[in-house]
Amino acid sequence: MPAPQPFSSGSGPERRFHLLGWTLSRAPGSPPRPPPPIAAAPPADPLNEALERLPEPVMVVGARDAEDLADRQVLFANAAARDLLRLQGGVGPLVSAIRDPQVLEAIDESLFGGLEGRCVFHTVGNQDRHWLALTRPMGDSPGGARLALLLLRDETDARRSEHARADFLANASHELRTPLASLSGFIETLRGHARDDEAARDRFLGIMQAQAERMARLIDDLMSLSRIELNEHIAPAGRVDVGQAVNDVIDALAPLAQTRGVKLEAILPARGEVVAEGDRDQIVQVAQNLIDNALKYTPDGGVIRIEVFAGPESAITVPRDPTAARLALLVPDHAAGELYAAIRVADAGPGIAREHLPRLTERFYRIEGQKSGERSGTGLGLAIVKHIINRHRGGLMVESVLGLGAAFTAWLPVAR
Amino acid sequence: MNEHIVKSYGDELAHLTAEVTRMGGLAESQVNDAIAAVTKRDTTLAQAIVGRDERLDTLDTEIERAAIRLIALRQPMANDLRRTVGAMKIASNLERCGDLAKNIAKRTLILAENDPATALTRSIGRMGRLVAGRLKDVIDAYSHADIDRAVAVWLRDEEVDEHYNALFRELLTYMMGDPRTITAGAHLLFIAKNLERIGDHATNIAEIVHFQITGEEIVSQRPKLDSLKPQ
Repeated sequence: MPAPQPFSSGSGPERRFHLLGWTLSRAPGSPPRPPPPIAAAPPADPLNEALERLPEPVMVVGARDAEDLADRQVLFANAAARDLLRLQGGVGPLVSAIRDPQVLEAIDESLFGGLEGRCVFHTVGNQDRHWLALTRPMGDSPGGARLALLLLRDETDARRSEHARADFLANASHELRTPLASLSGFIETLRGHARDDEAARDRFLGIMQAQAERMARLIDDLMSLSRIELNEHIAPAGRVDVGQAVNDVIDALAPLAQTRGVKLEAILPARGEVVAEGDRDQIVQVAQNLIDNALKYTPDGGVIRIEVFAGPESAITVPRDPTAARLALLVPDHAAGELYAAIRVADAGPGIAREHLPRLTERFYRIEGQKSGERSGTGLGLAIVKHIINRHRGGLMVESVLGLGAAFTAWLPVAR
Repeated sequence: MNEHIVKSYGDELAHLTAEVTRMGGLAESQVNDAIAAVTKRDTTLAQAIVGRDERLDTLDTEIERAAIRLIALRQPMANDLRRTVGAMKIASNLERCGDLAKNIAKRTLILAENDPATALTRSIGRMGRLVAGRLKDVIDAYSHADIDRAVAVWLRDEEVDEHYNALFRELLTYMMGDPRTITAGAHLLFIAKNLERIGDHATNIAEIVHFQITGEEIVSQRPKLDSLKPQ
């Protein structure tokens, strides 16, 4: 098989992709023309450029031998395809790019059967994606190899909103039932024998208000969780000064900490020193949830240590206390040499037993025997943190020593 | 195999790698489908998985034959020998993954006759995604000869164990709470164990990939979590 010709070479049969006007302007022998007035520096080949920048992954596969799988070669892959399938240089054996049996079959049908193929295809990882794979025969290349086109259409959004709706309904109806039952119980009592008891009425109304507030918090959390989940596969665009964001959260929570006599000790970088790629509101929510949790479990008069720093993943996840039980709750898809901004929050609470660590980010997971105080949470805080960090392509780790406290570290890529 | 075509030695090695990668893709989709079948109680899918297992067995045999043929006729040395033997070993690990996926599918058929235990199958789904992710990463590492990725899979071996232990406790609590759930619980326990075994096979493959590329074993510096328990 001859060396695959990259489409951008602009010679041979690929010539036909050139736009007519542009080709004419470069017709051999014609005198050099002044550049077109609109675009100062037009791309070498607008059609290739368009294909290259198409947001949907597109690939051309060539093969000669129907029997030999190693012979199927990717001849062209646009930027989206190279990015999705980690194809360096955009060419190479097909199986190292795609090995899903159904997609391989569909490509073969187009290559050797002349049929149009269609199948669903998932890419798993931290961000699951659902694709519709479409294949089309492209006939023979001048070199005698058979060609087929593969187009992947992203169907994640549709699948996800379907899922999210079902999940939301299941979670919401289940979790709202308890506070709702208690509310109707009190209403009944207030209409019945507590009707004229002023002291009881005040007390009951207080409890009812707390329950109503709990329901409101729960709905808020569920809504923000499902919003985050819907966007989880779309990386955020924006720059956040992580130190400043965390500082704002500390300022906001300081009064609450003060009433509890809890000290918030923060080691923050200078302004502009640690800047991450991200959505500011979401980073604030991460810091807020982590510090809120720490406040919940730190006894009065305790100290919460908050740190923001940057470094490679290995430096962030290095164990601080060798006796601590540690578990990564989320690990970013492997990227060598990436620098991360980290937020670490260590509380002085009772710590978390090892067996609970893997389930911490589960929705509504509560550790048995854990007292739910007046500031009891919704059970969604860490789930929200995990989904936000996953959207940011980051990681989350917990360390815990029973009796001494627990520490959560969240990290996300720094802005380039 | 297409013996009528005279191929170069390099082509034959590339063919072997491609076949193992294809087999990896098949094993991966069997495992993913098995997890989907359990969590969605999808008996049609479960039956399809059972039916497809044969293809993995055939591929395993074919790869073994091709590798033996290559060793006999070409007498590969050093790197090439490691690649050939590695392909054979990885294929047999993948074949085992397929068997475990098939077993999960068979248990799904039985589970579908009982009442749904959504909370538990959800936990199984979570552990399953973790295991499937490891299998995907390690096959990526193999097909791209990416040693960092292989080591990353190997280093994170204990995550699956932690999930397994948590799930084990959860299942015991559930079965103690209501003895009528013991049948379903026991099947789920085996499913969890199967997933843990698939995770182990991914670790094995990571070791084979490392050996194939470097010619050396991964040096055991892996921190075992048990030693980190508070005293």
